[in-house]
Order: sequence, then C-alpha cells, then structure tokens
Amino acid sequence: MNAATLEQQVEELIRGPQYALRQAEKDARLTAILRELCRDVAARCPPYGRFLDHFGPAAEDWRTLADIPPLPVAMFKRFLLAAVPPERIVRELHSSATTGQQPSRIVVDKTTAFRQARALVSILKEHVGSSRRPLLVLDAADSTAAGDSLSARGAAIRGVANFASETVFGMTRLPGGELQADWDAIEAFFARHGGDAVLAFGFTYIVWTGFVLEAERRGRRFQAPQAVLLHSGGWKKLTAAAVTKEEFGRRVGAVLGAAAEQVLDFYGMVEQVGTVLVDCPAGHKHAPAFADVVIRRSLTLAPAAQGEPGIIEVLSALPTSYPGQALLTEDQGVLMGVDDCPCGRKGSYFRFLRRIEEAEVRGCGDTFAQARDIR
Amino acid sequence: MNVLRIGPQGAAPAGDRLSPIIEELNQQRAWLAKVPVAALLALWDDYSGRLLRDPRTKPLEGVMFLSAWLRQANLQKLLQLNTMGNPGYLDGFVGVDNYLLSARPQGLVAMWMAGNVATLPMFSLVPGLLAKNVCLVKLAAADPGGMDRLLAVLAESQAKGLRGEDLLRAAAVVWFDYRQQPLSEEMSLAADARVVWGGREAVRAVTALPRREHCVDIVFGPKYSIGLIDRKLLEAGGGALEAAVAGFVRDIAVFDQRACSAPQTIFIERNARCSLAEVGRMFAVGLEKLPPKPGLDAYTTLRILGARAEWAMDPLRDVAASTGGADWTVCMDREVSLKEAVQSRTVFLTEVESWREVLPLLTPKVQTVGIAFADRDDALAFAEAATAAGAARCVRPGLMNNYESPWDGKLLLNQLLRWVIVKP
Repeated sequence: MNAATLEQQVEELIRGPQYALRQAEKDARLTAILRELCRDVAARCPPYGRFLDHFGPAAEDWRTLADIPPLPVAMFKRFLLAAVPPERIVRELHSSATTGQQPSRIVVDKTTAFRQARALVSILKEHVGSSRRPLLVLDAADSTAAGDSLSARGAAIRGVANFASETVFGMTRLPGGELQADWDAIEAFFARHGGDAVLAFGFTYIVWTGFVLEAERRGRRFQAPQAVLLHSGGWKKLTAAAVTKEEFGRRVGAVLGAAAEQVLDFYGMVEQVGTVLVDCPAGHKHAPAFADVVIRRSLTLAPAAQGEPGIIEVLSALPTSYPGQALLTEDQGVLMGVDDCPCGRKGSYFRFLRRIEEAEVRGCGDTFAQARDIR
Repeated sequence: MNVLRIGPQGAAPAGDRLSPIIEELNQQRAWLAKVPVAALLALWDDYSGRLLRDPRTKPLEGVMFLSAWLRQANLQKLLQLNTMGNPGYLDGFVGVDNYLLSARPQGLVAMWMAGNVATLPMFSLVPGLLAKNVCLVKLAAADPGGMDRLLAVLAESQAKGLRGEDLLRAAAVVWFDYRQQPLSEEMSLAADARVVWGGREAVRAVTALPRREHCVDIVFGPKYSIGLIDRKLLEAGGGALEAAVAGFVRDIAVFDQRACSAPQTIFIERNARCSLAEVGRMFAVGLEKLPPKPGLDAYTTLRILGARAEWAMDPLRDVAASTGGADWTVCMDREVSLKEAVQSRTVFLTEVESWREVLPLLTPKVQTVGIAFADRDDALAFAEAATAAGAARCVRPGLMNNYESPWDGKLLLNQLLRWVIVKP
C-alpha cells in the first residue's frame, strides 16, 4: 500500500459512517492500514522502531488488530516520541501529571491535527446530529489557552468546539487555580439557547463538583430539554463519593432540564485525541470506524473473552506524527459484544470498568528504588 | 461482623471486637509459660513432617522450605543463637556466675503480616510461640491464602505430650479491614510487642497506632535486594556461572519476587569471557524453564510491559522477554543504579566495572545481596563493605529467600523475650 492509498483509506474511514462496519470487515481494513502506518511511524521514530523490533510478530505477519504489539501509554511520559522533525510539529499535547510524575507529551503535525478534528466531528455527528450548535464548556477559557502546547483538557475542548456554532465558557478560574461556575454566563447561555439543541461539555469531576452540586446547592435549574452533555475523564473521585454513572446522568439531566439519556460519557485520552468512544443509548462504548478496542487479559495479553474484564487497548488510524496507533491504556474494561448492540451500531462494544490501581498488597519487596527513598 | 477468625476449619466471622479473642489469648499465658521448650521443638518437628505429607499443605508455595526450617535441628540452632547459647533460659532461671538469668516472654505479641508470602505468618508465629508469647496474627487479606490449611495440620500435630490443638489456643489468626481504625487500635493497645511485616504504607500505618509505653516494636519494613556476579566467577568456566544463574533464577521465582529478599537488580562485573547480553540470555533460558505463572494482576502486568517497552526503546539498554505474555523479563543496561522493583520474574541486569561501584547504592534499605564470587576472600571483602554500608545479608544465589535468623539485622525471637535477672 503506497502513501496515497493509505491516506485515502484513512480518509474514507474518517468521512464515512462511523458505526456501520461489521467487526470482521473493520478488523481487516484497520489491520491493513495500521500495518503500513506503524511501519511508517517506526521508520521515522527510532524508539518505536526498536519497540516493534523487540516485541510481537513482524508487521507483515499481523493478521488481526490483536497481533499488533500495543505500546504502553506510559511511554509518552518516558520519551518524546516524535515521528516528525520539530519544524513539522504544530502542537504539543500534554497530560496532567501528579506531583513528581512526568506528564505525557504528544507531538501533533498538521496531518494528525486535521484528522483529529475531522474525526471528532464525524463521531459527534452520529451521536448528536450533524448541525453545529451552541456549546457551553463547563471549564475555564484559559484551559484552551492559545500556544503550541496544550493540555489534555484543552485539546478535548478545542476538539468539541469544532462542532460549535458559538462557544461559551461556563467557568472562571480563581486566583488559587480552582474553577468556579460563572452563573451569569451559564444563565445567559440558557436564556439565549435554552429551547435549542445545545451542546454542553466538561470533565466529569468538574461537571459534578463545579456545576451539578453547586447548582443543586443554589437551587438552580435550567430548561434545556434538547441539551446534550458530553463528559469525559476519570470516575475515581466520583466512585469514592459513591456516585454511580446512573446517578450522575440523572442529576445532570435534572439540572439541565434534559433526559438522563442525553448525558453522554465518552472515553478518550490525550494520547489519542480525536479517537473518542461515546456511550450509546444502551450504555456501551463503540469505537469509530477508524479505531478499535481490544480488551487484553493480564499476563497472557491474549484478547479477553466477551464478559471477561481485561486491560483496554485502543487502536487508531489517526496519528501520523507519533506512535499512537496501538496503545495499551492503564484502564480496565470488558467486551460486551460484537455487531449486536441493541443500539444498532456494528462492531465490538465495551464498557469501561476502572482505572488500574496498584494492588493493595504488594508486600515488603514493594520498594521503589531511585524514585522513593532507597537512596 | 467485622472480624474474621482464621482457624483449622477456615475463616469464620468473629464479631465486631477483638477483646474476646484477646482475653482468650491472655488466659493461655500461664499455661504456655510452663510448656517445656523441648516439647515445643518436638511439636514443630512433628508438624514439619506432616506439612510435606498432608495433601492440604503439600502444594502450598514455600512449604518445602518451611518444613525444613521447622526441623528440630534447625530450630534448636535458632534458639541457641537467640538465647545466648542456652535455650534453657526459656524454661526457667539458669545460674550464671552469682546470679540467675531467665528469658521470659514479652506477653501478647500482635503481628501484622504482609500479603506477599503465603507461609510468612508461620515464620513470625513460630518464634513468637517458641518464646512462649501468646500471639495475635492479623493477615493482610481476607482470603487466608493457605493459612487455614497450615493451622489445620498444626492442630493435628503432637509430640511429647503437647498437642498442636492446645498450642493453637495460644494463637489467634484474624483479618479485618485495615481501615477499621478502632480494631487496629484495639489490637495495638493489647500488644506487649508489635511485629510488623509489610510495605511502607502498612508500616507507617501500624507504627502510628497508639500503643502501651512498654510495647516493643519489631518492624520488617520495605526492603530491596540485589545480586552481584563477580568477574572471576564470570571468567571461571566449569559451570560456576551456570550454577549462580540457576540460583538467582530460583530466587527470582520464589514468591513471585514479592519478598523483600528477592533480587530485583543484579550487577554483573565486566569481564573478558561473558558479555552482558550473554549473561542475559542465560537468565532468559533459566526463566523460560520455570513453570508458567498461575496468574497476574493487571497492575503488575502493566508494570512489566512498561519496563519492557522502556528498556527496548532506549538505545543504551536492551531487553529479553517471554513471547506472548508477561511471564518473564530480563532488562539490561550499564546505568549503575537500583532499578524500581517490578516483581513477577522481572530482573534488571546491570554491568559494572567493579563491585566497588555498587557500594554507594547500599544503605540499610538493602536487605539481601546475593553474592556469586569465585573467591571466598573476595566475597568476604565485599560483604565487609556491603554490611558496613547497611546490607543485612550476603548469601549465595539460591539462598536469598531462605528465611533465617538474623533477618533484617534482627534476632526476632530474642526481641520477643524479656531477659530477667535475679540476685537472691
């Protein structure tokens, strides 16, 4: 497959219907694309080339997506994995990092950036309709501050904003860095567009603490029956607070004046911007046409059976500037079925279970050498 | 019911308080004090044989070593070392010059176990009972992990008129959620001695619990262990290197490398005969021959895959790994450092010019050094320097996880005794 053909095939998948391919056909098409794409990226990104040389079968022997050796996402914290020269990098994305940890750094060239933007629009079209609509971002404007470096949140907001006819930020940042709902802005947004099909977007925990709990405390309710709220991000803090997905949807819907089914969780990560896996009405996550998910067993890494929890791997044909084609995440999920979701979407579908945390009991040998206090 | 009590019949709910159990134990103190040491040794010896014969305990990981450790001859040596050469001090006063000396139990010993080694509770419980303490043992997990079976076989053991069933009245094995602060405090406040095995968080949490003023703390906290193969052995030929690698592979395999005595980084001296890659291949061959791991949690799987990828992608490093899964991994480099422990058959081989480069890495956090030296004098020279720097043990490959006394620089049984003196 030459470069032009490869480009054309990826474009077809991005432009076409996102959930129409049956799994077998999708696997075959994506495997062929990723075989070429991974080889190409490996040739331009020596660390990734060394990774592929060490693990798994040679690219020409990849028969299914599960044959592709997944790169652990943590490697973006260890290395700057660039498959393009610095002058072709248009943006560097970075994850948030807890104290003492390196953030992930993802370099994006023009091709990847275009693909990511158009891919996200293609996906959202299938969930919320094709027309651009007013967007309420439940975050602060400075999260998307202009520049050649962008946080994961900022990248996601910018991506969703591609779908907006108008963007309003519903939060402000206090001097200490905390976010606070800007009720004037939110009220004004709903006053203008309350009856319209509007889109709201925010990170799960911020939506919950900064918007829902605050609105409930203040007794604020809106009348936006056609609103769709998209949210993304970890559930850890909400789980700790015993907030289920169902309760989250119900209470967000109550504040917006919309049905709980219009609150859509999506799974995505900074290492694969544009590749988002949105909840369908049946509560399942579906990969779009240009991407897929493999749930892998611990230890053997073999694909898990339906219903068996495993480690989530996300594959995507979008990135050209970094090795993000097959990434092993730090999350657990479960394959729920293939080609038969009650929502009618084809392909495999899954549920996110949890972030993979350190086992509670690792014993007295669980010391961290240089990083902690051995030295 | 917040407390589970683990006994020969398995785990059973035991109420919301520890006080009834503590009271039961304290009632056994006078009886246990009168049991002769010879009877205790004989009982453990009988138990040792049963462990290997009984189908309930035979398959448990580490039971073969536990059985050997419980043999009378071994425990007799342990007692000698821990009682200033005369276990008779445990049975009463012994005349020394113009005074009398005796070793009394501390009283009630509370033991917080780590969850990494199935047989670990026995290595704590046996010294506790040999020192005639009543023991309250808290397991790390609700799943007894074989402890119930170990207790079942002990209950059936007997020798010299002492029945295991009776001895078990002086010991209680329990589990409760570590977040149950009142229970943790109750256990701690009942203790005359606290023995803590575990990682950093567990040690910090337990030692922060309130305790009685006289209570003795014995902490076996998080440690890191390493190996070292010296140049002369690498160049010696004659199977010495193969034997050393085989020993290290055993040390790596036992307890899935979760014990603090398991080697994580092994330093290889640069030599004229065997490259780092060749040594790596020998480890790979040895690890490949091990029986498959029964399973692995997702977190450790990710850590293994992360280490593999990191070593593969770095041009100054190399890695060899099992195909098709996270079974074993050999990471190789020349950066003189202690690598973060990944565990579960993941070993880091680091080439050094000389063992002297390793010395600055050694602190009291390093527990065991597996030493593969061709020359005994060289081994002793290294051990002299390593133990001065803080290492607790320098032992041959294959022996790293063999629990012995002293351990972590401590004579456990001795610390579970109160030495008393009488000058009539």
